[in-house]
Amino acid sequence: MDLDLLKSEIKTLIVKELNLEGRDPASIHDEAPLFGAAPAGAPASLGLDSLDALQLAMSIEERFGVRIPEGPEARRIFASVAALAGYVAEKKSDR
Amino acid sequence: MQDGERIWITGMGLVTALGVDVATSWTRLLRGERGLGRLDLFDTTGQRAVTVAGVPGWESVGPPGWAAKKWSRTSAFAWRAAREAIAEAGLDVGGGSSPRVGLVVGGTTGGMFETEALLAALHANPHGIEPLVDMISQPLSATGDRLVESLGAFCRVRSLCSACSSGANAFLVGALWLLSGSVDAVVVGGSDGLCRLTVSGFNALAATDPGMCRPFDVRRNGLNLGEGAGFAVLERASRVTERRGKPLAELAGWATGAEAHHITNPEPTGSAAARVIDRCLRRAGLGPRDVDYVNAHGTATPLNDAMEAAALRLSLGDETRRVPVSSSKGQVGHTLGAAGAIEAVFSALSIGHQAIPPTMGLEEPDPECPLVHVLREGRACRVRAALSNSFGFGGMDTVLLLTEPELGPPRATGGRRVVVTGVSSLTPHGLDDARTAAPLVDGTLAGAVPAPTGPIAIDLGAHLDTSRARRLDRTARLATVVAARALAEAGAGAIPIDVADAGVVLGTAFGSLDPSAAFMHRLFDKGPRFASPAEFPNLVPSSPVGHASIYLGLRGAALAVADLRTSAESAVVTAAELIEAGEQEVVVTGAVEEASELVERILFTRHTAVASSAPEERRRPRSEGAAALVLESEAHAAARGRTPLAVLADVRSWAGMPGERIPGPRDPGRAHVVLVHDSADAASRLAGTGWASVVRTTVTDGAGDQEGLGATALVAAVALVHRGDADEVLVLGTDEGRGYALTLVPPPRAVSSASP
Repeated sequence: MDLDLLKSEIKTLIVKELNLEGRDPASIHDEAPLFGAAPAGAPASLGLDSLDALQLAMSIEERFGVRIPEGPEARRIFASVAALAGYVAEKKSDR
Repeated sequence: MQDGERIWITGMGLVTALGVDVATSWTRLLRGERGLGRLDLFDTTGQRAVTVAGVPGWESVGPPGWAAKKWSRTSAFAWRAAREAIAEAGLDVGGGSSPRVGLVVGGTTGGMFETEALLAALHANPHGIEPLVDMISQPLSATGDRLVESLGAFCRVRSLCSACSSGANAFLVGALWLLSGSVDAVVVGGSDGLCRLTVSGFNALAATDPGMCRPFDVRRNGLNLGEGAGFAVLERASRVTERRGKPLAELAGWATGAEAHHITNPEPTGSAAARVIDRCLRRAGLGPRDVDYVNAHGTATPLNDAMEAAALRLSLGDETRRVPVSSSKGQVGHTLGAAGAIEAVFSALSIGHQAIPPTMGLEEPDPECPLVHVLREGRACRVRAALSNSFGFGGMDTVLLLTEPELGPPRATGGRRVVVTGVSSLTPHGLDDARTAAPLVDGTLAGAVPAPTGPIAIDLGAHLDTSRARRLDRTARLATVVAARALAEAGAGAIPIDVADAGVVLGTAFGSLDPSAAFMHRLFDKGPRFASPAEFPNLVPSSPVGHASIYLGLRGAALAVADLRTSAESAVVTAAELIEAGEQEVVVTGAVEEASELVERILFTRHTAVASSAPEERRRPRSEGAAALVLESEAHAAARGRTPLAVLADVRSWAGMPGERIPGPRDPGRAHVVLVHDSADAASRLAGTGWASVVRTTVTDGAGDQEGLGATALVAAVALVHRGDADEVLVLGTDEGRGYALTLVPPPRAVSSASP
């Protein structure tokens, strides 16, 4: 699967599912942290929280058929759009 | 002459997973038995966790034939527990004119379990009519109505929701009624039954433990849902003494406040919850050293328990090294709207029996929760005062203090005057305020505008910061817009309002029926794995209140109130009671109803199905609407240099009984009656009073029609007073035997300037 297309689809999903009204999906940086504060030098964080993480995990599974595990592993997968797209692509190709 | 009053508990009733009476529940609770098992009420295929605390033998808990009479399980539990409490108190409900007995019921799901079956039928056949007719019997206020039908003529009834603190807030409101003298005794409690919606929703939030929950344990991993009811009879001590009754415990303190933090997550430092615990103790005239036991909220979610331990450390300080703390949720589950009431009863029992229950499931206490835990089984303990904590979704915290009788000082009674300092109404007519709302009721628009239906054409995004409002659904947005505008108008004094002290109390008749239906349809289509975690918190009836509190930073009392077509009046009266009693200085109150095809279909079906519908009670199509009033204590408004728009001079309410007579106007020539809905019942309430001959108008068709229309009527009545049209306006709202009559008059200064 085309990784760039996947990233773009995930960005659209984030904006729609998390009601980021007025936000242009294309303006979300591939490497921007989704949760918490951004480390120095990194693109600004989307500032999402745990409730967003649950909604996002549910919609990723609904849209791509890829289940995001609960617990610490999810933190790594949800680090950024790039990380999330990488995980989804990897799991999809496993099948 | 008394210096104050005490509130005594004289009867208690319980329905829990451990037993369907107080004695069985308490005995098994002390023994450390756990009422947990596998959920078998409905198909649980695909559910993440199914360990729950269900009521055993629930089929036989209600009155004979309850299921055939379309009672909900929630109502059946409430009936059982309330009846036990009334019997223990030896209370005669509705036996003649005295005593005047009130009823306050807290809950979150009401008849959702039964509604789900109807939604499933609608899902299978979208054009079905039968499910709609049955759905009528299931709004949140239905439990109160069933208790009035079956237990006696309560003189006033209130149905409220503040998520998981609902049951505790029923105790609080009941106490206010006793202090104000509006009732002689009050039956208070909470009830909630398990349903697909809450099971799927808490599972979607990953807030559930698939096994048995472990409150305060280092391995705790979530809650187990439960169901049941807790009720108590509260009376003034003077009356109990007079009739030689016996107090079981004293309700010595209470406090409620919102965290204004997050719709599902608690404020992590515990400082918001600690503030409520502090206020509860202060108002009881007692301190941390007096507390002998804490019945914790203790849900066993990682966030709650850590927050609660932090809050207790902040409030009780070093006393946390002495005071035992336990959570009953490992035994009776988290019973949501019933939890605060069930646990208040447990706390009272700990005083009566001088014993405290354990925290079951706790094996290895989390170092983050350094408290004196009670492990494995209950134990004897000298308990003079017990705190009961309840923390709800949206950060709605309520804390009760139960004590042995006469431990602390008596409570001061209220009686403070309530004024209106800001109003805002959103109807199909538009956004109105104190300067523009009068035409909604003055007759000038009659017939000019056709009765509108459906959503109001308004760009809510223009009135809200959409990045902060992204979690607010339409109902919450409508409510927040009018609340913000009313607060802005009220704040136009020399000293602005400190919103952090303001409360918010809103009426909502049907809760979030459409979003709940959408949530359930998704469940039917895709299974529990795809239940939406983001939507679930918006399905509790108090969610608009929670969202408004968070968005606007309101940290006072936060409550939703339901009472069919008088839901707005019920909310405004509740807000006024909080101010009269000194619980709050400022409360923004009113009602919100979103356009709903489902509710419109239900009401249309009922209207055409009920043969007794009086022909003159024409039904307007249902529209959308929201309206808010800022109520404030007269002293608080004066202190900040704000001349009120109007004074709330008189409040009457009734529930089925003949009710109090509405005192007549001082000058019928300068008075005005506003009927929220034109009905034979409303007219009969005025007959024989001084109001019968007064100018009478109804809210104009152009304002649309919905269950919260009373708030729009009140806003318009304030405008009439403000414009100088009338010196006294009576707003009368009635529906199915219940009613509210609120009288507004100009502030004293305005009267003297108008008549030199």
